[in-house]
Amino acid sequence: MIEVLQFSALIFSLAMVYFALIHYRKGTISKLEMWVWLIIWLFAIFSVVFTDILRSFAKTFSFSRLFDMMVVGGFFLVISLSVRSYLITRKLEKKFEDFVRKKALKDAKKVKK
Amino acid sequence: MKIAVVSPAYNEERIINRFLDNISKLKMPLYVVDDGSVDDTYKILSKYKMQGRKCEILRHEVNLGKGAAMKTGAEAAFLDGFEAVVFIDSDGQHDVEDLPKFIKKLEEGYDVVFGKRDFKSRMPFVRLLGNKLASFLISVLFKIKISDILCGYRAITKKAYNKLKWESLGYEVETEMVIRVAKNGLKYCEVPVSTLYLDAYKGVSLIDSFGIFLNVLRWRIVL
Repeated sequence: MIEVLQFSALIFSLAMVYFALIHYRKGTISKLEMWVWLIIWLFAIFSVVFTDILRSFAKTFSFSRLFDMMVVGGFFLVISLSVRSYLITRKLEKKFEDFVRKKALKDAKKVKK
Repeated sequence: MKIAVVSPAYNEERIINRFLDNISKLKMPLYVVDDGSVDDTYKILSKYKMQGRKCEILRHEVNLGKGAAMKTGAEAAFLDGFEAVVFIDSDGQHDVEDLPKFIKKLEEGYDVVFGKRDFKSRMPFVRLLGNKLASFLISVLFKIKISDILCGYRAITKKAYNKLKWESLGYEVETEMVIRVAKNGLKYCEVPVSTLYLDAYKGVSLIDSFGIFLNVLRWRIVL
């Protein structure tokens, strides 16, 4: 069971490394962002392969199992990323709306002249 | 009082000609906002204007939603010196014959005039149920009694617009307007309007309703 979980996590992390590289090549993210993501996912691979290292870390935070710590950590990460994405989307939506509406008003003025 | 008619339009090529013909009978200044239609709505509107009709055409390059289109139309009218606007859907759902009722109420000094559809008429059951639930929820949460929250046929003065300035881009605009009227203590009333249900696929869908419900809860906290 543990091996299956480890294997899935490993495949997922490697896929994410690949995505980071692809998006850097496409110009979606900068070099710095690519390195940040690479470090994050390489750390994930490292902790998936060498689970014992993180086990003592989990005990420090009173988690009886390493898996529990990973789940809680995952929740924190997902929630914080969702909030961040939501705020960015709202900001962009507002900017986009302002831009389109202002252009419509400007074009109507031009037609009148 | 200088009053203009504002109408948002999105993909209405099939029906907009009939709407324009009907509204031209009233000889009122008209602002139509084409909200990024992908059909020939904008072409039809431009043709109508070229015939020398009293009409301003505004165009959103991309579809933003009804709320945004209403805002653009209202702002254009207020920039041109109008003191109030009447919003009317361009899909032929609203009867232009009801327009004088809104004008009368605005001239009586109301800041906002809401249209009230006849629920006994042919309103689809799901819409009727949704509307009743929305009215109940709004009256409990915001202490404002409007019998037809979702009717898009309504009028506002410039003063009211400056206080209301909604943030909704889509169909939730009608609900947000009602909530902001309650929050700002504006003087409002309702007038009965007749409605035709021509297109079953347009208007507020079930998914939209769920989004509106979540927004109502959000507005309860943030407004």
